[in-house]
Amino acid sequence: MRSFRFWPRSLQGQMLLAIALALLVAQSIGAALVWRAQVERSESSIAHALAFRIIGGALRSEGMDMDRRDARRVLRALRRGDEGPHPMRLVRGEDSGRIDDERDADLEERLAEILAAQSVEIAELEVFRRPVKEDPVAARSVARRLERDIGDPGPPRTVIVAAARLEAGDGWLIARTFDPPRDRGLGGSLILQTILIYVLLVGAVALLLRRITGPMSALTRRVEQFARDPTLPPDGQVAPQGPLDTRRLINAHNRMESRIGALLDEKDVMLGAIGHDLKTPLAALRVRIESVEDDAEREALVRTISDITNTLDDILSLARVGRPSDPVETTELSALVIGVVEEYEDMGENVELGDTQRVVLPLRATWVRRAMRNLVSNAVRYAGGAYVCTAKRDNQAIVRVEDEGPGIPENEIAFMMEPFQRGDPSRNRGTGGAGIGLTLARAIAEQHGGTLTLSNRTDGKTGLIAEIALPLEPKEKPRGRG
Amino acid sequence: MAAAPSSAGSNGPDRVLLVDDEKALREPLAAYLTKQGFAVREAESAAMARSMLRSEPADLVLLDIMMPGEDGLSLCRHLVEAKGTPVILLTARGEATDRIVGLEIGADDYVVKPFEPRELVARIRSVLRRSARAETAPALEQDYGFENWRLDPLKRRLTDPAGAIVAISSAEFRLLKAFLDHPRQVLDRDRLLDMVQGREAHLFDRSVDNAISRLRRKVEDDRSDPQLILTVRGGGYMLAADVTRLDPVPAEAAE
Repeated sequence: MRSFRFWPRSLQGQMLLAIALALLVAQSIGAALVWRAQVERSESSIAHALAFRIIGGALRSEGMDMDRRDARRVLRALRRGDEGPHPMRLVRGEDSGRIDDERDADLEERLAEILAAQSVEIAELEVFRRPVKEDPVAARSVARRLERDIGDPGPPRTVIVAAARLEAGDGWLIARTFDPPRDRGLGGSLILQTILIYVLLVGAVALLLRRITGPMSALTRRVEQFARDPTLPPDGQVAPQGPLDTRRLINAHNRMESRIGALLDEKDVMLGAIGHDLKTPLAALRVRIESVEDDAEREALVRTISDITNTLDDILSLARVGRPSDPVETTELSALVIGVVEEYEDMGENVELGDTQRVVLPLRATWVRRAMRNLVSNAVRYAGGAYVCTAKRDNQAIVRVEDEGPGIPENEIAFMMEPFQRGDPSRNRGTGGAGIGLTLARAIAEQHGGTLTLSNRTDGKTGLIAEIALPLEPKEKPRGRG
Repeated sequence: MAAAPSSAGSNGPDRVLLVDDEKALREPLAAYLTKQGFAVREAESAAMARSMLRSEPADLVLLDIMMPGEDGLSLCRHLVEAKGTPVILLTARGEATDRIVGLEIGADDYVVKPFEPRELVARIRSVLRRSARAETAPALEQDYGFENWRLDPLKRRLTDPAGAIVAISSAEFRLLKAFLDHPRQVLDRDRLLDMVQGREAHLFDRSVDNAISRLRRKVEDDRSDPQLILTVRGGGYMLAADVTRLDPVPAEAAE
């Protein structure tokens, strides 16, 4: 629909346009029918007038074999057809009198039919139109009429001439009638009528639509706000209004909103409980492990506990990512990234810090730190090391984590960010992780209005590049706490 | 190895009261801490802790936040206000708001479950050392200001001259705080180590130089030409800035 610049996009606009178009089409068809009926009537009355004259002439001429009674009946029958406003005398001539006027095949046919029906046998028939001033007989008639000053809508401009050569006689019978002027007001009145109906209809429809679209747009605004932030207080809900259908929609939406809010609250409570119920025994286990004598065994157990804890944290975070409880704060990103790199340095991992640029933007530090850790952990796990840098580009802050691992086949890249996908299809715990890390990193990037993109290196080496881009200006105004 | 740390009042081992409703954690943790040289008592609820403290005070209380009945935060507030007993909170949730609330009501430290037992011990010792020196709350109420930077010691939050938060680790925080407490004084490595150590194991392994280098990465414009934290010939460091104490900025006004 983009190609039509004036195509209205709202319900109201489309409805009004549709009504206008439908009305125009209906009125046009009506007008065409009226016009055709009028033309038909006028042609037929002209044909009858001409036939009346010719038959009259034929009856008077010699050799016409018809008794008086018949003749009177015929004339009476013909008189029923409208004779036309200005009868002109029948003329007899040696030829049809046509010079270069165009013949009217339609009228000829009609006239021939009428004459045939009255058993007047015609050898030749010519019907044509010509301007009054080029026809001496018609011009005289008009002049006479003007003298008599008949109250009339102006003199006719065209005369129709019918010339017939009878089978029985010699010479031509030439009848004339004026071409009655057509009703020119038809088009204008039609347009006026259309406009009038349109204005009335549009007024009624617009009133009705207002009652529908007003509440609808209030509801749309509310849904948009709610989609952005499902923690909105319920007192901002749209009051049911408008026609019954709209009211029911609003009521249904409000119920759904309350239900979603309740579910989210329930989820938070549940996650808190899960966190508590799992982390306390994990802590107990962690303490007991300290008494394991064998160093290697103890190390392995500690690593397992820490893997479980990390996965648990990822799952809990992913479940909460849409409803963060901590506020957005203006933060320097590179210090955050450097801090994460240093954590890995402390663990003896091969994580290298590249160029960093100071970038200040509003963010939730605990979340961004978690996303960074997940990307770096991934690189360390699958490639044995990572190279991290930050930059500012196109009004975005960029954090880039590169590795020199095997990379990911291009067709699996999108797939990798779905939960519980791992590069290694064996799902071997040896390569660690439940495969939720990238999903969470992406969710965190999106929580900040940014993106996470994965791509293979194109600089000749193999390896994966994970890039988080965060907007420097928040897309939505950060609301204080909560 | 597990020599009992010197304590403020008594000559015996430090008395730790462990309050947690989960027996499964409480018992092994008590056993572990006892092995580390603390005199440990256990309480399974806030009410029980109150009555045990009435019969005999403790040098430090290890307190779980989420407990049925009176929760840890409420007991913590009571302990800090009434007795000035140092408290370390144990929390199952790692959310920043939980930690801040805990520190705001006067807890000395917090650990997130599941914690490294050795780290917990290090923190217990650090808190005891501080309470022995009577380094208590008043010093924490005001922010430090230096060269238009600001350090909120309660929330461990460093903000740059433009007001942006600069994330620092707790080791870096303690190092910076050591400098801010002694501005324009030359602090040698041993002195710094003494002021900073005690909470994070890696600081024992890492040289002070490394910690300084990391802190510089975050506060200096040009690390190769430091302006704030200067290296002094002969083996020491100095904060080259005047320090002022500022009233904390209300949380909402930070924007």
